[in-house]
Parts: sequence; structure tokens; C-alpha cells
Amino acid sequence: MSKLLSFKDVNFFYQTKAEEIQALKDLSFDIDYQEFASIVGPSGCGKTTILSLIAGLLEKSSGEILLDGKPIQKNDSRIGYMFQRDQLFEWRTIWQNVTLSIEISKPKNADQKKELAKELLKKYDLYDFISSKPRALSGGMRQRVALIRTLVMEPSLLLLDEPFSALDFQTRLNVCDDVYGIIKNEKKTAILVTHDISEALSMSNKVIVLSSRPASVKHVQILNLNGETPLSRREAPNFGELFDLIWKTLTNEKETC
Amino acid sequence: MKKKPVKPKISRVAPYSSAHKKYLQKQRNDKIFVLIMQIMLLVLAIGLWELLAVTNVVDPFFVSSPSRIFKMFVSLVASGTIWKHVGITLLETIIGFLIATFGGTLIAILLWWNQKLRRILEPYIVVLNSLPKIALGPIIILWFGSGMSAIVVMCILITIVLTTISMLNAFNSCDADKIQLLKSMHANKFQIFWKLILPNATDEFISVLKINVGMSWVGTIMGEYLSSSAGLGFLIVYGSQIFKIDLVMTSTVLLCLLAALMYMAVCLIEKIHSR
Repeated sequence: MSKLLSFKDVNFFYQTKAEEIQALKDLSFDIDYQEFASIVGPSGCGKTTILSLIAGLLEKSSGEILLDGKPIQKNDSRIGYMFQRDQLFEWRTIWQNVTLSIEISKPKNADQKKELAKELLKKYDLYDFISSKPRALSGGMRQRVALIRTLVMEPSLLLLDEPFSALDFQTRLNVCDDVYGIIKNEKKTAILVTHDISEALSMSNKVIVLSSRPASVKHVQILNLNGETPLSRREAPNFGELFDLIWKTLTNEKETC
Repeated sequence: MKKKPVKPKISRVAPYSSAHKKYLQKQRNDKIFVLIMQIMLLVLAIGLWELLAVTNVVDPFFVSSPSRIFKMFVSLVASGTIWKHVGITLLETIIGFLIATFGGTLIAILLWWNQKLRRILEPYIVVLNSLPKIALGPIIILWFGSGMSAIVVMCILITIVLTTISMLNAFNSCDADKIQLLKSMHANKFQIFWKLILPNATDEFISVLKINVGMSWVGTIMGEYLSSSAGLGFLIVYGSQIFKIDLVMTSTVLLCLLAALMYMAVCLIEKIHSR
């Protein structure tokens, strides 16, 4: 597989009134095409900062971030961002929420993208709700709508920033399966930021473990778990072993910080 | 999208079981009970007032009575003067209400758009908000004369600062993640405002409308107290000067009714919005 995204010795500093804080230190990693990678790390280590840098919401202090071998641009439409919680606009209908990015970026092929939105809504059992407001939907359905809203612009790379953190455990397991299924069906590359090791293990092909702030890559674990869905992968024989490995890497990190 | 979106069928609330039927019945009964009690309270207050006045327990010269108010109202209607006074006060209030509400919102938009300007003007807005606007009365009369414009200015002054502060708070309290979401879609500042900040503040805008109904009546009446030759505020001042308490009370009751009607109009807007 070839690389879609590369971080090369990326540094990032936050400026505050009191001091300058280094959030990322010589951060380097690669993400391949159609790979599902997870980033785990201690709380506040800079996981979301990485996604914000990729999405162009923040600007790196030094280093290189390459998408398809070229430096990442600020308004790169090949990147789709899914935030913590679904962030649906309550005053808009499901259809208006899903087509929000089309309204904003006004692409030349807007009609084609609207057709895609319609297809995705039908495919994932949400078409009957297009005239409803988000409050009529369950937590899982809302997450599916949020993902479709991101997929409508046909991004090459999906950034998922703890998208399941607001859900209860049972819903979370089901939504993980749904979202994973959609991403795999649509053949997308995804980076998931999470603090939940089992979520990272069950959904990804690769887990990147970060050190505490300033974050650098501490360990990269390539996964080969048996199972078609995140739920079934949780039952893989080596799941517990991998969990322990990641947990120990993280715990050592916490002890040293 | 060419086809009209399909609206999912949502069933209306209907009783599912005898327990549910009982629950719905109780809800209805409670609603009716509250309404009956509200009406009874009004009837009781009016009745008691009338009784105390008729039996001379209280002096009708100082407190008037419902029947005297009614007689005064009938005579004012018969002479045709009341409509002129009601019309003028209503006009002043509506003009002041609209200018203050939309002007205050426009200022809030400007301050949201330019945060540096907000920081520069913040202390002045705070001072202007704390200032008792009645203190500006003589200056307003000096600058705007003693007619309708001075009264409208007083009404605007009382309402506009509060509108600006409330709307600016609503704009600034928008979820930062939602703003980030739009930024990740490469939205510009105008799109962020138009698609998110403004619709997100609609509930607050309705609250501001409700508050402004009361505030603009306060402003108008205060303005009419200061300087006017017509209007309900003028009638109240005039009535008290010639010890005609019936006129004062009639004007006050009319004010209550008009303010309630305006408030109900805002509630109707809220109902339409929440559909």
C-alpha cells in the first residue's frame, strides 16, 4: 500500500499569555490508502491538535505534513472532519444538515453530490427522515447522519475525533459497527482519535500510541485481528494481549510524566 | 434534489391504554383547573375592589373602582378621544420597540464581527447599561424637542443596550466545535454567521423580543411622563394632576391590555418559529 498521509518531524507550539507550550515534538508517522488508523495517548497530549493540523484549522510550527506526497493545503477538500458529538444543527432538517458542506463550498458538481447524499441516506436507512429535525433521531442515527454529512464531499481522508464519546456503552458498540461498515464500504482512509483502547483495537489496522505532551510517537502497533466487524474483533483471541500491550505502553507513559 | 423530501409519519398523541387515557385526562383537567383559577382570581380581585369601594371601606376618590373605571372608559370612547391617546402611545412603543430590537441586534452583529471593536466599546456599553436612563430625560428633550421623537428616543435608549448585550452573549456562546466544523468545511466568516451564529441565537432573540415588549412600554410611558401632550402616559400624569384617579386607573388598565396583546403577538411568533 502507498502512503496517503505523512507526518515528518512535525512540531507545534501553542502560545499562551503565561508561556509557550510545545504540543507536538518531532512527530512522524504514515497512513496508507484505505487504512483505518487510531491514535491513542494520555489525556491532553495533543491528539486533537494532530487532526486540526491535518484539517488546516491550525498551522504547524515546523516539519512537513504531506497528503498524496504534496504539502497539505489549508482548504483541502480531500479531508473530512467528524467531531466529538454529532454537531448536527438542530434548526435544520436532516437533508439540510447532510448537504451543509455543499451549500458552503458550492462545488461545480453540486447536483452530483446531492445525488450521492440521497444514495447514502437511502443505503444507511435514513432517507425516511430527511424532512425531520435531528431531535427525532436516536444517538446512533445522528452519528450516521454526521458521517454521511462528512462523506458527501467525497474526502480521501476522514478524521474522526472521538466521535462516539458522547454515547452510552451499548449504543457506542452498535454505532462503531455502523460507522466502521460505512467507512469500509465507501473505501475511505480514516484516522480515529480516541482514549478508548478497545475501540481503537476493534476498529483499526494500526494503532499509534503517543507520549504525553509534547506528543511524539511512542509505539506503532500493526493489527491483524480476526473478525469482520469491530464487535466481532473484540472477541479475537489476541485482543486481550494487544489491549495489555497498548495499556502498558500508555501506563508507563503516565508514570513517567 | 428534484423530488420533494418524504416526511416521516409521526402519529398524534392518542391514548394507548386506560392508564394512558387517565394520564391524558389528568393533564387536560389540570390545564382547565389552572385556567379557571386564573379567571377566578381576576374576578375575585375586581369583585373585592368594587365591594370595598361601594361600601366605602376604601375611598373611591383615591383608589377608584371597577365600575367607575368602566364608566370612564365608556365616556372616553363616547367622546372619541381615547383612540387618539391609545394610537399615539402604541405608535411610539412599536417604533421604539422595532428600532431598539433590530438596531440593538445590528450593533451586536457588528461587535461579534469585530471582536477588537467589542473590547474597545465594552466598558462604555456596561456604563450605558447601568446608567438610569431617566437621568438623560432633560438632555433628550433639549436635543429632540418635547414631541414624539423624544419619547421614541427614550424608549430606544431603555431597550437597545439590553438587546445588544443579550444578543452579543448569544452570538458569543455558540458551541466552538460547531464553528470548527464549519471552518473544516472551509466556510468564510459570513457563512459561519449566516448558517450558524444567527440561527443558533434565534431562541435568545425571541427572549429579547419578550423582554423588549415590557421595556419599550416602560420607555414610552417614561418619555410621556417627561414631556407629552397626548398618549396614555400623558393621561396618567394629567389625571393625577387634576385628582381624577378614574382616568389614571382607566389608562393603566388600557396599558396592561395593550402590553399583554403585544406580548401575545411575540408568543405567536415563538409558536410559529418552534413549529
